[in-house]
This record gives sequence, C-alpha cells and structure tokens, in this order.
Amino acid sequence: MKAGPSQEDIRRHNLGTLLRYVHVRGPASRATLAESLGLNRSTIMALTADLTAAGLVREELPRSPGRRAGRPSLVVRPESTRVYVLAFDVGVDRLAVARVGLGGVVLDRRESPHEGRGPVEPAELVGTLAGLARSLVRKAGRDAVCVGAALAFPGIVRRGDDVIRFGPNLRVGDVTLGDMLSRRLALGVPVAVANDANMGAIAEHERGAGVGCDDMVYLHGDVGVGGGIIVGGRLLGGQDGYGGEVGHMGVNPGGRPCSCGARGCLESEVGERTLLTLAGRADLTGMTSREAVRAIVDAADRGDVVARDALHQVGTWLGRGVANLVNIFNPGLVVFGGTLRDVYLGSAAQVRSVLATEGMAAPRERVRLRTAQLGDDTTLLGAAEFAFADVLEDPLHVLARLRDPEEEPVNS
Amino acid sequence: MRFRPRPGDPANAGPRGAPVSTPVRDAPPATPFTASPAAPFTASPAEAGTGPWDGAGAVVGRDVPAATLSAHDRSTRAGGAAWWEPPGMSQTPVLDLRGIDKSFGPVRVLQQVDFTAYAGEVTALVGDNGAGKTTLVKCVGGIHPIDGGEYLFDGRPVRPTSPREAAALGVEVVHQDLALADNLDIVQNMFLGRERRRGLVLDETAMEELARRTLAELSVRTIGSVRRKVSELSGGQRQTVAIARAVLWDSRVVVLDEPSAALGVAQTQQVLEIVRRLADQGLAVILISHNMNDVFAVSDRIAALYLGRTVAQVRAADVTHAQVVELITAGRCESLGIRG
Repeated sequence: MKAGPSQEDIRRHNLGTLLRYVHVRGPASRATLAESLGLNRSTIMALTADLTAAGLVREELPRSPGRRAGRPSLVVRPESTRVYVLAFDVGVDRLAVARVGLGGVVLDRRESPHEGRGPVEPAELVGTLAGLARSLVRKAGRDAVCVGAALAFPGIVRRGDDVIRFGPNLRVGDVTLGDMLSRRLALGVPVAVANDANMGAIAEHERGAGVGCDDMVYLHGDVGVGGGIIVGGRLLGGQDGYGGEVGHMGVNPGGRPCSCGARGCLESEVGERTLLTLAGRADLTGMTSREAVRAIVDAADRGDVVARDALHQVGTWLGRGVANLVNIFNPGLVVFGGTLRDVYLGSAAQVRSVLATEGMAAPRERVRLRTAQLGDDTTLLGAAEFAFADVLEDPLHVLARLRDPEEEPVNS
Repeated sequence: MRFRPRPGDPANAGPRGAPVSTPVRDAPPATPFTASPAAPFTASPAEAGTGPWDGAGAVVGRDVPAATLSAHDRSTRAGGAAWWEPPGMSQTPVLDLRGIDKSFGPVRVLQQVDFTAYAGEVTALVGDNGAGKTTLVKCVGGIHPIDGGEYLFDGRPVRPTSPREAAALGVEVVHQDLALADNLDIVQNMFLGRERRRGLVLDETAMEELARRTLAELSVRTIGSVRRKVSELSGGQRQTVAIARAVLWDSRVVVLDEPSAALGVAQTQQVLEIVRRLADQGLAVILISHNMNDVFAVSDRIAALYLGRTVAQVRAADVTHAQVVELITAGRCESLGIRG
C-alpha cells in the first residue's frame, strides 16, 4: 500500500479535475475555477498553462465585460474542435457515429439505417461503422486529435475485456467488437464497448435531466428495454459490469416469453413487439421502432380504442417495473428515454397510478419522473462521455502518447 | 476510466471512477485523494430546491371541518411547515387563494374555492366542463375581480384588478386561444403592449435578443427565425410562442389553459416537456387539462373543482387515475376519504 499520492499523482489528478470541470460545465474563468476547485490562483495558472501547451484548452479574454472592477480574469475554454472522440451507437434500426468535441459538442455525425433484428455478421457491422467513422475523421482538421472511442451496444457486455456476452436483438455472440473496430480504425485509440442504456444513464446524469441528481434510474426503450442505475453519482455495474439490466426484471410471472428465455420480463411486457401486438399493428414492424411506437400513441390520441388499451396495459406493466425500482433503489429521478419517452407520455396516468398503489409511500414520495432531455442522442452522447474518460483521467499522458506514438506503443 | 480495471485503481471504481472531482490541494502532499468533502460537481442549491415534493400537502378537502383535521393537515392549510420537510424546501406557496367567491350577476360560479400553487411544481387544475376552472384562472390573472376571499401572493394579501396588475406581480396566463396577433412577428407578439424603448424609438435589437434567448431556454430549436410572422407558424409553434411570452417577464406563476387542446401527439409531448421544464426551473405552473395522461405526465399536485367548489388538492404521487376521475365526476372519493 502506498503512503500517499506523490507530487506527480496530485498534479495529474488536478489536471484531470480541471479539464473535467470545463468539459462538463463549459468555459470558466480562472477566478471561477480557483473558487470552485478550491485551488489557489497560481496553481490554476500552472495547470491551465500545462493544458494549453498540450492543446486541450485555450485561454482568452471574456467576451462580455464583467461586472467586477479590475483586470478581467481569463476564460478557460475546452478546445472543442481540436480534441475529439468518436462515439458509436449500434441501435437495432440505425447505426450512428458522431465526432464529439471536448466539452460534449457534437461536431459532426453520420447515420446509416441498420437491419439489426436478424443475425448480424460482426465483420460487416464493424466494416460499416469504420466506414462512417473514417468519413468523419477525414473531415476533421489537420491539427485535430482523436483521444478516444466508445461504442454503445444493446447487449450485455463484460467489464473486464469488453466481450459482448448477450445481444438479445443483435445476434453477435461472444465477440470483441471493440478490438475489431479499433484495428480497422487504426487511430491508435482503443474502442471501449458498454451497454447502451448504461451509457444513456451517464449522459443524462452528466448533461441531461439528471444533472445534480446522484441517485437516478434511466430506462431506455429501443426494441428491447434497457436501463442504467446511478447510485451515489456512480453507475451501478455489479461484479462483472452486467448490472442494471432492468429490462429482464420479472414483473409478470408466467407472462409473455422474453428473448432471454424467461417469461414476463419487463422487456417482454412493455417492449415494442408487445405494444404492436396488443395494438393489433404487428404489420408496422417494417417501420423503425420509434415510428411504430409513435404511430400507436398517435392512434390512441385520435381515439383508437385498441391502441388505447394497448398503451393502458403496457403502462400498467411499466408502472409495476418503476414501482419495483423505486422500492429497491429509492432514486430521486426516473428518466424515460428512447421509445419509452413516448410510451411514458402516452400512458403516464397508468404508470403513476400503479406507482402510487404499488410503490411504498416513503421511497416514492420524492421521486420525479422525467423524459430524457437529450432526446434520441442519449446513448450516443453517453458513449462520447465514456470515450473521454481516459483523457480526463490523465490528460497529458494520453495526449503525449497520441501525438508521439513511437514513444510508447499503444498495445503496451 | 472505463470499465477496464487498471493497476492501482480501487477495485470497485465505477465507470467514471475516482475523479469525483475533489481536487487535491497543492500544499500538503500527503492529503488523501478524497480528503475534502467539497465536491464541485454536485447539485447547485437552486437545482436541489426544485423537487416536486413539499413535504406537506396531503389530501385537504375544504369541506372537512377544521376540528377533524390532523396536525399535519392544519399545518398545510396554514401554509406552515411540517416537521419532516426536507431542508431548503420552500413552504410558502407562491399563490394561495382562500375562500374565493365569484358571481356573475345571480350566477354563482365559484364558492369558497381554495387553491395553492408552489414554486418548482406543476399544479394541475382539473374539473368537469363548467366546474369553474377557466373562471378561477381568470380571477388569478386579474381579468375578473374576485367578490370575496383572500388572494395571497408570496404570503402577502393582494387584489389584482387587471391583467397588467397581475403581470406586475409575476402572474402570466396563456389563454386557450393563445391571444396571438397573426399579422405580427414572433418578437412583436412577445412584447405586445410592453415594448422596450430606447429614447423615442423601440429597442428592436434588445427585444429580438431577449426573445431568442427565451425560446432557446425553452429548448426550442424548431421555430426558425424570430422574425417570422405568427400566421406562418404551426399549432405547436404558436403554443410555444405563447408560453415564451408568458415566461419572458421574470414571471413567478404561469397558468396554461388547455395547452394541448388542438395539438397533435408530437407537439403535445413537446409542450408537456416544456411545461415540466418551466417548473423544474423554479416557476409555479398551473396546468388546466382534460387529458388525464397529460395531467399525470407532468403534475406534482392535482386540484379538483366540482360545481364551483374545491373538492380536493392532492399530491399526484398519492392518487390513481380512477380516484381523480371520481373526484372530477362525482365530487367525492371514498377511497381518499373525501365526501362531497
């Protein structure tokens, strides 16, 4: 065990903390940084000088004159266009790739339709993703540097080695998509892989509806239902990183068969297929899941009683799932994203009625139910946050390694 | 740091790992990494105070005789604080109407109506046709002077007798018909009757900038130029402009009368999200709606009117759809212990 952090550890930690501050909160003056981080001004100056030299931030005079007297404090801005990550989102209906700059700005993006309901060949998937990514990288400026990459995948991913253990709707099997993609990209950065709903939870927590709420549950609907649980500001991963699979929480014993093999999982009771079947619209499966769910909510709004009944049933099961989560985790916030946004807004009366009857009074009294603020981009932006994790951890080392790959091979 | 454990990492570091953003002070090198309790990335106090919960506010039927109310209910009625309320939660309602009476000639429309609205919350006002919802919000907005009862704003008794006086208090109403002028553009509509002046001329630049910023705060990107004529806008966009006009003036209370009545599903959802966001930003929002889904989707409290009387003011988290429907249609609810 170490006696304590060395000077070098402290400096690295402070650099990361300062960079994370401007990354998450946006540009800040040196004075604000000194106050918020509890460091003295000369330390802030030394840290920003290091980060500026590495090309991670730049300092400039404030755009509008401040109210304070005296020399205005320089504003530290993240170098959004020069430092970026690649974020990949493998949806069932679409593939999306974005180039996201430091500070969380989407600089550019590509999407391609995707037929992910049948068996998917991993090599083909990686080829398409790499193609989209390369066209984004070509558009980046010559001095721009890619500092990380991450892929959001609708399946169960092992934390230790990013192996996809189960992809209920994308039959990829035990493959390491991340390594394959990283080799194809040849940018010198590893591609991290994680569950899409977990990444959505991180995005909503850092930049969306969950800012300031350290105990929240994010529920994501695509064709299946996924979730991410944030406890004490951290994502609940469990022993191997499979945690938070709320879609496979049993809510209806002996209910509909689920793709996981069990019956009556939340996913099988509120997923898109069930909603379509209940609404008698199984023929809508040609649409993307988003469009199909919207069509049913729309029909219900126009008075279609079958669609209304379908939403009613789905809302009741969703309410039961939320009640269980509220009883177990006592979150301050439950966020509905993906297609569950539409399902929630279309069946809120059922969801909240069940929550009121089945949720225990104490844990439910302060829970807020909200829709995802980042819209359809939650999982993509979550992947970006994930990809930034390395550079925020040790900014100078990562940058030095990328700018001068000879010095230290990436594979080490 | 991602899921991959690295040498030296704490075994259970989450995906975002150690940088819980407590910087290490530079003076003593031996300071452990998590020494200081101050964590720069936690909630700002403003955000912490905007939850839907106010700690009190159980079912208070106004016909329950005061003697039978529990201590909890009495404290709610008096606007006082219950002992279990979390710290920092504001207990004084922004708007507190007590025993409001209103008649039009011989027609008694409101009898002894009680109604409260809290900052940071959406209060839904529900009731059958003719229950007096619109009359009540017109009294709130200063259009109809009240005949009797108390109108407390921030705990102070007031009597607004015109929309202008209500607006000066910080009360804005978005009417069912939106009251927009089709022949004017978005900026002109938002400042209609309250234009900014610079000397003798209108300060168009400042108004345009403010209009744009307000729309941006509502996260509205679909509207295009703020110089478009309102006649060119869709129903959802008009609703957004009307809401933006209401929140432009440092308002404290915003009343929305049937905001989703004439909208399609996608626009309704967008308006609901805006309504929720307004409350999360600290406004007291009053929502009139016939759609129980919309009511449950966004509201923290539900106030039910029945034949010009308040039947109940309940927390939305404590009631079910069926109970609210019973309150609206029958004016009572046995399972909530409210008898008409």
